[in-house]
Amino acid sequence: MNFEAVIGLEIHVEMKTKSKMFSNAPIHFKSEPNTNITYLDLAYPGSLPRLNKQGVINAIRVCHALHMEIDHTLFFDRKNYFYADLPKGYQITQQNRPIGKNGYLEIEIDGKKKKIGIERLHMEEDTAMQHHFSDYTLLDYNRAGIPLVEIVSYPEIRNGEEARKYVEKIKEIVTYLDVSDGKMENGSLRCDVNVSIRPFGSDKFGTKVEVKNLNSTANIETAIDYEMMRQASLLIKGEAIQQETRRFDEAKKETVLMRVKTDAVDYKYFSEGNIPPVHLSDEFIENAIKTSNELYDQKLERFENNYKLNLVDAKILLSSKELSVYYDEAAKHTDLYQPLANYIISEVLGYLNKNNLTINEFNVKAKDIADLVILLNEKKINSKQGKDIFAKMIETNKSPLVLKEEMGATIISDENQIRVDIQEIIAQNPTLPDDFKNGKTRAQGFVMGLLMKKNKGKVDPIVANKLIVEELKK
Amino acid sequence: MSYLDLTIKEIHEALVNKEVKVSDLVKEAIERCKNDKFNALEETNYKEALKEALELDTKEVPSDNYLFGIPYVAKDNLSTRGLETTAGSNILNGYIPSFDATVIKLLKENHAIMIAKATLDELAMGGSGKSGHKGIQYNPYDETKNHLIGGSSSGSAIVTAASYVPFALGSDTGDSIRKPASYAGLVGYKPTYGLISRFGLFPFTVSLDHVGYFTRSVDDAAILFDYLNKYDERDYTSSLKERNKVYPLKENKGKFKIAVLKEVIDSIKDEKILNDFNNLVEKAKEEGNIVDVVSIDSSILKAIYPAYIIISSAEATSNNANLDGIKFGNRKEGNSYQEVMFNTRNEGFSELIKRRFVLGSYALMSENQEEVYLKAKRVRRVVVDKVNKIFEKYDCLIAPASPTTAHSLSEVSDNLDDTYLIADNYLGIGNFGGFPSVTIPLGIKNHLPFGLSITGKIFDDEKVFEIAKDFEDILGLKNLSTITLSTKETK
Repeated sequence: MNFEAVIGLEIHVEMKTKSKMFSNAPIHFKSEPNTNITYLDLAYPGSLPRLNKQGVINAIRVCHALHMEIDHTLFFDRKNYFYADLPKGYQITQQNRPIGKNGYLEIEIDGKKKKIGIERLHMEEDTAMQHHFSDYTLLDYNRAGIPLVEIVSYPEIRNGEEARKYVEKIKEIVTYLDVSDGKMENGSLRCDVNVSIRPFGSDKFGTKVEVKNLNSTANIETAIDYEMMRQASLLIKGEAIQQETRRFDEAKKETVLMRVKTDAVDYKYFSEGNIPPVHLSDEFIENAIKTSNELYDQKLERFENNYKLNLVDAKILLSSKELSVYYDEAAKHTDLYQPLANYIISEVLGYLNKNNLTINEFNVKAKDIADLVILLNEKKINSKQGKDIFAKMIETNKSPLVLKEEMGATIISDENQIRVDIQEIIAQNPTLPDDFKNGKTRAQGFVMGLLMKKNKGKVDPIVANKLIVEELKK
Repeated sequence: MSYLDLTIKEIHEALVNKEVKVSDLVKEAIERCKNDKFNALEETNYKEALKEALELDTKEVPSDNYLFGIPYVAKDNLSTRGLETTAGSNILNGYIPSFDATVIKLLKENHAIMIAKATLDELAMGGSGKSGHKGIQYNPYDETKNHLIGGSSSGSAIVTAASYVPFALGSDTGDSIRKPASYAGLVGYKPTYGLISRFGLFPFTVSLDHVGYFTRSVDDAAILFDYLNKYDERDYTSSLKERNKVYPLKENKGKFKIAVLKEVIDSIKDEKILNDFNNLVEKAKEEGNIVDVVSIDSSILKAIYPAYIIISSAEATSNNANLDGIKFGNRKEGNSYQEVMFNTRNEGFSELIKRRFVLGSYALMSENQEEVYLKAKRVRRVVVDKVNKIFEKYDCLIAPASPTTAHSLSEVSDNLDDTYLIADNYLGIGNFGGFPSVTIPLGIKNHLPFGLSITGKIFDDEKVFEIAKDFEDILGLKNLSTITLSTKETK
């Protein structure tokens, strides 16, 4: 029998804001435990929540990027349960009226676009971080209250690859918008997967299995494909699928049972009285959208249209958001867009890859790279000098213009001066013109070699070549 | 006669005129607190208070700061930095807050001096003044300690009525200031929701909780209002409305349109209370005020108490879910976090609280929510709509604040008769609608006072004070206390 999978994803994205969603405690990821906290984060009696405006703006931006309907009134609810990492005994969330509903995103499968529907996006707060040890647990409340958005897809994903691409797209959107680090490995983007399978053509849903502990997009794909196989083989054997929560075992590349779901916990949701409904004006929402960062797709289009770059180069420059920002910055200083792209792709990326660095760790200013490309393009320096200057730029952080002077990197392109040198060389090697005329092109290179040697490589090779040919033909 | 027996306004004048020193006042307040026979207090702040008083002695008393050097007591569900705050519950024994409630901060900034914390019904749930971890609070009008003061702001009512201090902070979720004010012959005021910050108030039911206070005169209540009626960015429900000073109160005698709630009057059996109330109405009319009897369907009024109990118990389960022994408070150890939470809560809460939590959880369960919790919220809306309808024509709603004087210790009330369901619980209207509402002394029966309730439109606090002041003048019970009782009774 053939089966198809029905997959829904719930993604939690930690928002990048200066302070927490409902308290003014700062957010720094590298702080000592329990230093980024205030009264509310420990739920001291009498402390009260406030709404973080930037958290709302970020959520609006994500909603917009996901083509969602945005609610103009914000309502918050409490999700009540007792857990060691939940200081207040409830989480402030948006159960009844999520800020965003009915959106979608597009992924590409085998060159074809597929829309994945998104049911809802809501704002909430993170819990404290637990550090488990053999016989005790430590709690770090720095994470408690960090803004989260939860993005819930419709069950329209059919296999591991689609799920991976869906998550990659979400990650791309939140990082390009700069609303989140979007790092699964750090937990700033977390994904829970619901998988069920059913015979092809059926419109009924099978029993849903939840998979947790997925800390990379590759693991999502592997886990789903494994889970589809596992469920299919159970059904083929005539066994029932249990409603359960499984976790992905990275070493074994398979899902393992965590717990069988009994009755769901009753979270006793009710409205959060400390945050009365907040009306968002059209202007506020429009402004949040208008001032939001460019998305990947918009940027790609701009790179193709404004910079006239080919798609391959544009995609390379957009392979990381930071690299595209670097290119954009450099392009402010020159309109040599294609040479600039070539240089960044070959030289800069070449250097970074060789040294296993990222563009964030590259200390050369974008403007300096632009200046270097201009020097090369205007033949003020030759490519050998360019390479030397580039190396020095990395080392000293000085501008290429300064380095050009310091290193005496000039180029001779004065035709008269070059011609005199060439004539001198030919005069010392009188057989050369005949050799040349008899088809020995080696003669041309021989002259160039001596010419460069004499001038310490500073002769413009194109001008020189033209003159050498002219002189040899005489 | 001691200066401490006077009102804030009078004490202030004496301070300005250098008739008395701040430290003398504070020493006497401490002395009276130390001699408390009515079980009013929790943690005390004597040392700090005296230190502050001695420092203020060295300063000129600013004639425009009525609170300078005035001693007061705060209900123990208001967070006080460095001073144990337990909300009358064992689960918070030993909890020392690291921050001041906004009201405490405002009073401190204006140099009022906190002498002690007042005890209360556990977690402000309850109206008897019997349920806190200190046991029973006794009504100071009965030296034999046979009468209750009511609650939940029981200790705050005692310290004001017995003149330990001229005012005390309280909180009011159903009638927790205004009912004990009735039994204690005090002015007990709760503002429009959102005018006085709740930051630092231990929450019971966030949409019903109000910070308010007890004083012994309407002028004092108006004076305090001007100090506490401040926008607070730390309370997201704090109103953004512009604040105007209300003191000195305008003279609008005889110009008010007053509604008397018929069903409340009909359900009161005490003739002395009815008689005093009717006399007041007559005199108010003689002054030129319009006083009409209005009616609200009694079945709606009878639904106030059950709706209140459901909403408040339901939300209280959540508001007190932070009390789990993990982060602060009176932790009881266990082998897992679940055990710690279970042991802490099981030992820390009294049976009464647990019963409310069971009721509240039941109301919130997803299968019951629609029929219980959400229905109660709809009842709340219906009540508020009815009252707002009355406010379209009238400035305020008045009725006796309680159908009886203070209960004796042995008294058992019938919780299902009209007197209880209507006259004993209609003050919840003020919390349902967030209306400004005040109790003032209405009369005295067998040496026990009883009060009048005045409730106005939201943000009409100033008018409520003006009406209260008009009636206070008519009734002549200004600055009633156990000390001044004999002089008032002869009137």
